[in-house]
Amino acid sequence: MKSSRLAIDYNDLVKEDRIHGRVYTDPEIFEEEMEKVFYRGWVYVGHDSEIPNPGDFQLRKMGRQSVIMVRDEDGHVQLLLNRCTHRANAVCQVERGNTKKFRCAYHGWTFRTNGELLGVTYSDRYDESFRKEDFGLRKVPRMGIYRGFVFGSLSPVGITLDEHLGRPAKEQIDLFVDLSPVGELDVTAGVHKYGYRANWKFQIENSMDGYHPNFVHQTFFDNIKRRTGANITGVFASHSVCLSRDLGNGHALLDFRPYNKANGAGLRAALPTTPSGSAYRETMVARYGKERTEEILTSGGTHLLVFPNLVLIGVQIRVIRPIKIDETEVFLYPTRLKDAPEDINITRLRGHESFYGPAGGGATDDLEMFERNQMGLSAQVDPWLYLARGLHREYEDVDGSLVGQVTDEVTQRAIWKQWKKVMLQGTETPARRRANGAVRRAVQ
Amino acid sequence: MLPDRHHIESFLYREARLMDSHAYDEWFALWTDDALYWIPSNDDDFDPQRHVSIVYENKARIEDRITRLRSGVAYAQDPRSRVSRVIANVEIEAGENGEVTVYSTFNLTALRRSKMDTFAGRTIHKLRPDGESFKIAYKKVILINNDEVINNMTFLV
Repeated sequence: MKSSRLAIDYNDLVKEDRIHGRVYTDPEIFEEEMEKVFYRGWVYVGHDSEIPNPGDFQLRKMGRQSVIMVRDEDGHVQLLLNRCTHRANAVCQVERGNTKKFRCAYHGWTFRTNGELLGVTYSDRYDESFRKEDFGLRKVPRMGIYRGFVFGSLSPVGITLDEHLGRPAKEQIDLFVDLSPVGELDVTAGVHKYGYRANWKFQIENSMDGYHPNFVHQTFFDNIKRRTGANITGVFASHSVCLSRDLGNGHALLDFRPYNKANGAGLRAALPTTPSGSAYRETMVARYGKERTEEILTSGGTHLLVFPNLVLIGVQIRVIRPIKIDETEVFLYPTRLKDAPEDINITRLRGHESFYGPAGGGATDDLEMFERNQMGLSAQVDPWLYLARGLHREYEDVDGSLVGQVTDEVTQRAIWKQWKKVMLQGTETPARRRANGAVRRAVQ
Repeated sequence: MLPDRHHIESFLYREARLMDSHAYDEWFALWTDDALYWIPSNDDDFDPQRHVSIVYENKARIEDRITRLRSGVAYAQDPRSRVSRVIANVEIEAGENGEVTVYSTFNLTALRRSKMDTFAGRTIHKLRPDGESFKIAYKKVILINNDEVINNMTFLV
């Protein structure tokens, strides 16, 4: 039974220094999140290098909606809803592949890879009002691509992708991609898929939580120490020089550059310990110049959340897929650096596997924390979660972004600020009705 | 001449028992120094240098795995999964120097936090004679669900 039919006031649930546990447990809130966060806003769908050739496709999700990311015959990326315009049969059954057309098995309608309706079986039984051009596969109303990252919005109106990302997040995406000497990622190395029985927001918050690693991932750091003698727990200690940043629009960053600078550039790129390290550095300098190369290698990728469902950490593109209020899937795509020496790409892959995946030695412990979180939320005498860490010490950087120490909860507050803003948008405002009208017009 | 089937099956059953009972050190002692332990992701076979695996480990990495598991702070195994598996359909192929390739199937049920999960698949072992027994030089586990969402497979497989 629903407790109330009244609209939820998100001002009551998200305060500056705390959030109410209901944001993780109320199925009504989840339904509203689907609409407001995952359908109206921009969400990450896939990377264009996953579909290099015409006809290549990947079946993806935007919120709960099945979407085909496909490269059409003309080489353009398309985002098509996976639903026959006749009787809603899913036209694509497999997760990835190459096809000349999508054919609905139910009554045999066929669609081009750009969505156009190609053929209707026994079309003589429709009258002249039936026009094939009205019945193409529906497109995701808005699509945008930045550095190969394909985003979609199921709302025909709203801010542009460029506005949504903003300059600081785009700079971090650049640092992630520019580790390739030709500035291109190759996202064809497969995917780790894992899930957990807790709310999706635990994963995005934890991805940007610089306070937990020394506790949850002690075994990982112990193994590094046992094998190499290096103790890197200082990175995540309260005296660490690393930072947490609010990049605006819900995007957030754990910034390890101060540590990397102090401890030698190219930390994450594993240079020059790999045999091809110096050759790699030379090609990087040839392309980017010395200064920018140092900047890229010092960053070593990034540790970035692009609100709401994309995380770039280490070598991976991480995609968060909410299933239910207390069920989430997470897909991790390790990236290859195009034109980087093969052993660097292999080192990246092996490093990724040691921490990630359903049998990995790091992220699996995070999932356990999320499930313990969800269990803890059942105890509601005091329903609040406390987010004030470092609140009294955060400051504004020259670029306007809020900054704190790496163990501070600047990043969590960044997420909740945006979440509240998005969720406070009216449910059936005039703008919303106009948007619905625009959807109908777009498909006519 | 094919090696003794009973001898080889006994080895597989023993390994299964050690995995089911979380006997990490005894299980680790089964591997050769040049061992390779492989659980592919997304597909049954591919170039592991180009494609991500669920597990792709040499002996040092296997040691990391068991060191972590016995630490008491590997939270994905706190509480531990209760695991029971059946090994069957054993086929044996003789190789050089007494090494044997063994194909088998498994059915595994894991219980954790009141939830039962089933895993199944095929295993390829390359076993090298070691005194009266064998050591594992190579083990590849082909899960039928290697392209599905898996919540927790941190017990030994």
